[in-house]
Amino acid sequence: MKKLLAALCGLMIVAAGQALAQDKEKLSIAALRFVSSSPIFIAQEKGYFAAEGLEVEIKFFEAAQPIAVATAGGDTDLGITGFTGGFYNLAGKGALKVIAAQSREEPGYDFVAYVVNAKAHEAGFKSVTQFPGKTVGITTVGSTFHYNLGKLAEKRNFKLEDVQLKPLQSIPNVMAALKGAQVDAVLLPANNAYALEKEGAGKIIGWVHQETPWQLGGLFANTKVVETRRPAVEKFVRAYQKACADYAEGLLQKDAQGQRTFGPKADELIAIIQKYVEPKPSVEQVKGSASYIDPQGRLLVNDIYSQVRWYQANGMVDKTVDTSKILDLNFVKGHLDLPKR
Amino acid sequence: MPERSETSRPVPFRGGGFHYVPRKAVPWIGFVLVLTLWQALCSFGVISPLFLPSPEAIGVALWRLSESGAIFSHLGWSLQRILAGWAIGTAAGLLVGLTMGIFSAARSLGLPFVSALFPIPKIALLPLLILWFGIGEPSKIAVIALGVFFPTVISAYTACDSVPRNLIRMGQSFGLSGQTIVSEILLPGAMPGILSGFRISASIALILVVAAEMIGAQHGIGAFILSAGNLMQTDQLLAGVVMLSILGLLISFILGRVETWVLRWR
Amino acid sequence: MEVRIEGVSHRYGGLQALDGISLTVREGETLALIGPSGCGKSTLLGIVGGLLQPSTGKVLLSGKPPADCLNPLTYVFQDFALLPWRTVAENIGLSLMPHGLPANKRQERIAAILVLTGLGEFAAAYPRQLSGGMRQRVGLARALVVRPAVLLLDEPLSALDAQTRELLMEEMLAIWAQQRSTRLYVTHNLDEALRLADRIAVLSRRPGRLREIVEIGVPLSERSKPDAAPALAALHARLWTLIRSEAAEADREVVNA
Ligand SMILES: Nc1ncnc2c1ncn2[C@@H]1O[C@H](COP(=O)(O)OP(=O)(O)O)[C@@H](O)[C@H]1O
Ligand SMILES: [Mg+2]
Repeated sequence: MKKLLAALCGLMIVAAGQALAQDKEKLSIAALRFVSSSPIFIAQEKGYFAAEGLEVEIKFFEAAQPIAVATAGGDTDLGITGFTGGFYNLAGKGALKVIAAQSREEPGYDFVAYVVNAKAHEAGFKSVTQFPGKTVGITTVGSTFHYNLGKLAEKRNFKLEDVQLKPLQSIPNVMAALKGAQVDAVLLPANNAYALEKEGAGKIIGWVHQETPWQLGGLFANTKVVETRRPAVEKFVRAYQKACADYAEGLLQKDAQGQRTFGPKADELIAIIQKYVEPKPSVEQVKGSASYIDPQGRLLVNDIYSQVRWYQANGMVDKTVDTSKILDLNFVKGHLDLPKR
Repeated sequence: MPERSETSRPVPFRGGGFHYVPRKAVPWIGFVLVLTLWQALCSFGVISPLFLPSPEAIGVALWRLSESGAIFSHLGWSLQRILAGWAIGTAAGLLVGLTMGIFSAARSLGLPFVSALFPIPKIALLPLLILWFGIGEPSKIAVIALGVFFPTVISAYTACDSVPRNLIRMGQSFGLSGQTIVSEILLPGAMPGILSGFRISASIALILVVAAEMIGAQHGIGAFILSAGNLMQTDQLLAGVVMLSILGLLISFILGRVETWVLRWR
Repeated sequence: MEVRIEGVSHRYGGLQALDGISLTVREGETLALIGPSGCGKSTLLGIVGGLLQPSTGKVLLSGKPPADCLNPLTYVFQDFALLPWRTVAENIGLSLMPHGLPANKRQERIAAILVLTGLGEFAAAYPRQLSGGMRQRVGLARALVVRPAVLLLDEPLSALDAQTRELLMEEMLAIWAQQRSTRLYVTHNLDEALRLADRIAVLSRRPGRLREIVEIGVPLSERSKPDAAPALAALHARLWTLIRSEAAEADREVVNA
């Protein structure tokens, strides 16, 4: 009798456990092991996803492109990474919906720098207005760096065609080209830019946020998932927004002089971030590459329209891509900079 | 004997087969069949254009490229790099490989280097090559030349080994000088091996043009394929791949012609 | 010219191939060297031809070479050793290359030897277009075009069928009647030796030692005549008993090796 009871008890425990597991809805997200993916790490570590009843699996990728491809192909439900020409071509085929913001270039928050090689700097290349006639190393055609330069050309009234672009495929190649003085200038994320300056190979002559603030990346979902599992995605976005708020509170603070400060709240987040980012960054490196992320995950909507227009005008994104169809703005309240219609 | 005619019957044929006889029409039928099936699957929406663009879309992309003349500029740039890289890699490879084929000391010296350096993926060396040769044409040509060099070395000295030793003894028995033995016996005897090495190194050059054009190239089939890939323009990407395979067919055709001419004694 | 082989031994690493061979090939004769496969016949020929260095012993040449001799010692190979990428005329011309003859002299010699060996119409053919017999005629012509004093033949007929072999034997006899030379003729075929040689040297199985040298009393020109048959048959029987046990042993050795 006792044995039977024990067995019954055991069965009930197992069943309850299963019920609990079944309660948790599963979602997967593709991400890079970069600081810019921080809200995902924070939401996971602080249990915000779990609190929404979600079991989130983070699948890591080595480059931005495969993240969009994996999400579009349904290998993951969501993805988070930067916006590129390739992203818009993929999203334009209807497989992706952008639902919230990731990093953006916000005045006062260093992220991507214009770096000039030491020799060219000595020879007088000291201002971002001097790009015409220079050779500039970028990673790929249609990359965020390419776009940054395009927008700079628009702002500073020069022709992008007057800049010799050298697509070098990877950040290490770009850095090697600058060190070898093979190119006059490059665009690089903060930590790489600092490293070059420290070695004396290059000089930072400006930051993208000073010239052309823009919406750099976003959180997006597979269209089918948005259509069929909307409540789960809503839960996900809620947890994500909470993590964005934490992130802003911990890592995006400024003091009275407008200098960035990192209080005790930062330490907890940095520990979480260090756990996920590879290669493991130092505390200083985390601070250096903590890009601005909207505390509520709000997108600069108009900027996304203008990005697509720019890529289309430069023949990198198909003319048939309709920006309104790649956005689903109902997950986040109060998106910024809405297009007037 | 009347019974004989009753029991006599033709011997049943049981030979034939197991011998390759080319069937001219079959490859074309196969090609058309695959294309039709592919197009049908795309047209009826079985395959999403996201994953595999239709042959039609690839055709349109190719047509646009040739209309704008871009295709010729890409082909021209790539061909130039392939030719230069292949020629340099082949010349250096033959020099080293033949030396290793002729002199035992050179072989003993060179073999460990070749074995150690051959398997290194040349793409891994891109940042170094950028530092050494810059991001202009030299580094692109160097990638191809480096890729071509090692297999050429190997095919050259193995080709020397494959020259029948009795021919060399024959030359010695008639008092030919070392130089004459090399030029009259060793080199012509190694020619078939060297030429089949050319086929391999030419395909390597073609494969490496994509890697070479990773270094700051704005024109060229490799650069075109890379940028199409980065922009997720899959129809353009496959159009570039088609260009590359046409180039491959062309090169293999030319090499075939060279081979039949040089080896006409066979 | 005369070839004197004095106490020649040869080792390939640990393998003793020849052991103390001493014999003389007399001026103008054909000496057949006969022995089972692997007994060191080619090795001995290589030593005589200067392609191999003997472990011990030496080979001496004496006498005066013919007036128009360019190369005192030339070779005919069992597998012809023709360059497939050269025509018949070019293959023959190869042995003239080191001697720096003016072009017309070279052409003269080649033309003459083509006629002598019956290759006239094949001058421009490539080896692959020729039958085995024709290929060996090229090999022979290439060796003869320099008017050698000593001709070294290493089983020249072994790769040919019986009929072609017969034809070539007749031709070689005819050529030797016209062009004086000394010949060391390696074979493992007794009939060949009995048809072509003045004397036959029998080697033992490996390590090759000289067993016996047999003089064939019948002049070369009489060998195929019926009158010579009994004498040759007796000689054949005698040589065969000499070789038989060796051949059988050698055969077993190869299998066990
Ligand atoms: N280069 C070599 N290295 C080692 N052994 C050899 C070499 N050439 C021949 N031999 C061996 O020496 C013996 C005599 O060879 P060879 O002179 O070719 O014999 P034959 O010509 O009488 O058949 C054979 O056992 C053969 O295997
Ligand atoms: Mg032999």
